[in-house]
Amino acid sequence: MSGTPAPPDLSRLVPRDLVAELLAIARSGGAEFADVFAEHTVLTGLSFDEGRVKTASYSVLGGIGVRAVIGEQTGYAYADGYSAEDAREAARVASRISREGRGAEPRAFRVVDAKAPFTLSAPATLVLDEPKRVDLLRRADAAARGHDGRVHEVSASMATSAKRFLIANTDGVWAEDTTHLSRLVVSALALDGNERQEGFAAAGGCVEADYYTSERTPESIALEAASGAVLLLSAREPEAGSYPVVVCNGWGGVMVHECFGHSMEGDTIRKKSSIRATQMGQKVAADGVTIVDSGLIPFSRGSFRVDDEGTPAQRTVLVQDGVLVGYLWDRLNGALTGNASTGNGRRASYRDYPLCRMTNTYIEPGAHAPDELIASVKRGLFCKKLGGGSVNPADGNFSFQVTEAWQIEDGKLTHPVRNATLAGNGNDAMLKIDGVGNDLAIDGTTGSCGKDGQWKPVGVGQPTVRFTGITVGGTAV
Amino acid sequence: MSARHATPEALLSHAAAALERAKAAGAHVADACVESSRAFTVQVHGGRIETLKQSGTLGLGLRVIVDDAVGFCSGTDLSPAGLDDLARRAVALARFSTRDADNGSPTPADAGTYAGADLQLFDQAALELPVERKIDLALELERIALGADPRVTRTDGALVSSSGGAFAIANSHGIARAWEGTSVSAWVVALADDRDGRQQTGVYGMTKRHLADMASMESIAREAARRAVSRVGARSVPAARVPVVMSPDIAASWIGEMYEAFTGEAVIKKSSWLTEKLGTAIASPLFSLVDDGAMVRGLGSSPYDGEGVATRRNLLVDRGTCASFAYDHYHARRARTALTGNGIRGFGSTPGIGYHNLYVPAGESSPEAILKSVDRGFYFDDQGSFGFNPVTGDYSYQAQGFWIEKGELAYPVDGVTVAGHSLDMLKHVAAVGSDLEFRTSTACPTLLISEMTVSGNG
Repeated sequence: MSGTPAPPDLSRLVPRDLVAELLAIARSGGAEFADVFAEHTVLTGLSFDEGRVKTASYSVLGGIGVRAVIGEQTGYAYADGYSAEDAREAARVASRISREGRGAEPRAFRVVDAKAPFTLSAPATLVLDEPKRVDLLRRADAAARGHDGRVHEVSASMATSAKRFLIANTDGVWAEDTTHLSRLVVSALALDGNERQEGFAAAGGCVEADYYTSERTPESIALEAASGAVLLLSAREPEAGSYPVVVCNGWGGVMVHECFGHSMEGDTIRKKSSIRATQMGQKVAADGVTIVDSGLIPFSRGSFRVDDEGTPAQRTVLVQDGVLVGYLWDRLNGALTGNASTGNGRRASYRDYPLCRMTNTYIEPGAHAPDELIASVKRGLFCKKLGGGSVNPADGNFSFQVTEAWQIEDGKLTHPVRNATLAGNGNDAMLKIDGVGNDLAIDGTTGSCGKDGQWKPVGVGQPTVRFTGITVGGTAV
Repeated sequence: MSARHATPEALLSHAAAALERAKAAGAHVADACVESSRAFTVQVHGGRIETLKQSGTLGLGLRVIVDDAVGFCSGTDLSPAGLDDLARRAVALARFSTRDADNGSPTPADAGTYAGADLQLFDQAALELPVERKIDLALELERIALGADPRVTRTDGALVSSSGGAFAIANSHGIARAWEGTSVSAWVVALADDRDGRQQTGVYGMTKRHLADMASMESIAREAARRAVSRVGARSVPAARVPVVMSPDIAASWIGEMYEAFTGEAVIKKSSWLTEKLGTAIASPLFSLVDDGAMVRGLGSSPYDGEGVATRRNLLVDRGTCASFAYDHYHARRARTALTGNGIRGFGSTPGIGYHNLYVPAGESSPEAILKSVDRGFYFDDQGSFGFNPVTGDYSYQAQGFWIEKGELAYPVDGVTVAGHSLDMLKHVAAVGSDLEFRTSTACPTLLISEMTVSGNG
């Protein structure tokens, strides 16, 4: 068996005349707009756990979803599989959102003309067969175990997703595309007496097969996980309180994603549930802070040629030098507010209607060397690795789990710190930035963002950034 | 796509067809899990329908064992050709897995037969709740929330949904089990105006198997509005070590996070902070923890688990003592211990260890008496999403709630964190409330933890 077989030709499984018929049914109740989203996704997984290949898996997820829209109202239905009869039933259910009037005449399909932000010649999903993947995982396992005698257990896994989709709508949009995502994850458990700590590292994205042998080798991923676990064995508890915090570049951008990005999504702007809805042109971040969302970042999980509504990916500036200059829009929320979609209409699968979502969201680089940002802190925390984060966009409360941090004393990193949580309110977090580094990195390897129950791959990024004061949770007072 | 989910019998026949093909393709042992569901969800916002959504799911997962090695495939194409493809791929994949004599699927003798009470998982009234009725209920939820207090000037929407589904599990040892169930949900998010253009959130709702078990829309909407309004004017407090009263929602979230430490997989790998604690005192004698797969009308109840093993009530913590761990078939074999009925799976994945209905049995103290007993402390009733370390039990969450002075809620608090270590927290459980209520499959009464660290910038 070679790697994942190439996805089938969807327009053969779901022909144009069927798509046109589904759109007509969906509009039959009077809907102004309708779209059809068909998908065929192959997911594979290999887990190497406790020194053995535990499972090898292969799953196919496929079906058709139909949406009908009138004003701010959406009807949606999907059916698993490609049965024309099931799809017609889904279209009939969706059409019921509208009970009167006659929908606009659909336009003839024209294929969306959008240039791919990057292309893959030999994606890992297609090229790496099972023996090659097992070999990568064995190498990761051996490297993590060999790092330190205190590494007791190692778990390495590789997951891939090859997704073919087709989107067509009553505006005449017709687009088909394929995305290839892969990820290699290692977790290492270190034990020392009664102490136990876990370290974690991941690499991947929308990448070529040779990424895992040249750019991020299994050994480099394993070393990051194993050394992280061992380091935490000797880490101290954080001091509770509010003080200066420096956040690492790359994945540290999860803060701008949660603290700021969610409040810029078009649904919350249109419904005015976001504090940002009335802040266009106002100062929302410190001087020198520029924030961008771009679906065009090479090899990131958050990038694509067209979004899940067929709109080409683009770069959108949200904040220019501290001032709010733009929002993110999907088709529905854009149309209701007189804005064009910014290519941020995204859905987890054919089982979901699109939501307004971020792609790759990041802070542009500033002038400071990262060391300089740390050197000027008398007493504070340097967050080197962040775990998950969340925000409540309505009230702005956010939190982040910091998996590896360092105490800063008199401008120097003195000792590792574990179990810290950062908390605050997104309404003013970007105003508390008082230093932006020159070391921008965008992490498109592993992020997934959850919204309304839909999980979607995203990239996040920033240079090293310093905040004047953030509440740090800890047990030491 | 019919309006109803497939019958249990239809799913069993899909499972039997898949097992036959797995055997023909060379599997020594195989099990097939089939799911069908129909759900219809109504969301309203601003007095109007925002979305109507119908979901129609049908899928099959096939696990095969060839020479003690596992291969797994799942898909949504249940045609003969589709099942042939799944079976051939699963057998081919098994060649890449490591042989392990503990791989397998339970025999009917190991799995047992469910002989408990009628679980009443299925409600015709929930299944047949008309779309128009769901729309009316959702509109009513939002309208009452908006009318409950002048400071609630908008909502983030109200949702009402109902679903019906069937599940089948069959294996090559002769197990063939199937059942069906329903659920109904109602949730609303009230937003209250606060100073400087800010707003506060109040979320409330529930999911039940039977329509008749739902609280009134009136009481759900009023509770959401009460939560939002109660937080208006919240401020931070300075760092301090104080008693913390966990609301039932916060306490339920904590026991859900702690569950992983009770799984046989984590214990075997020593990645559990409860490794080697079996039979020892890990908590205050006031604290017990139960996982009950056989709770009548329980949202997480089913007569069998995802491997066909009969479910039961398992006591994980018995008055402070770590009493048992939870297993699926593979890890029970690894540990040379009895099956506990915790092999949980959907059609798209291999079984993993999970709970059914996880709860702390009610204690003696009323929530009012618990509050009265605290001279100075924190009432914790909302939190961020990340803050638990499953390997160490370290606990540190962004928190919202109220400052307690002399047994009363003095003022609302946000911009703080609450931190501790689960083993310390368990030992410091100083009171367990009498207010146990199931709104999802995890439930806990009000808990008083005698000391935790609250951090803030007040």
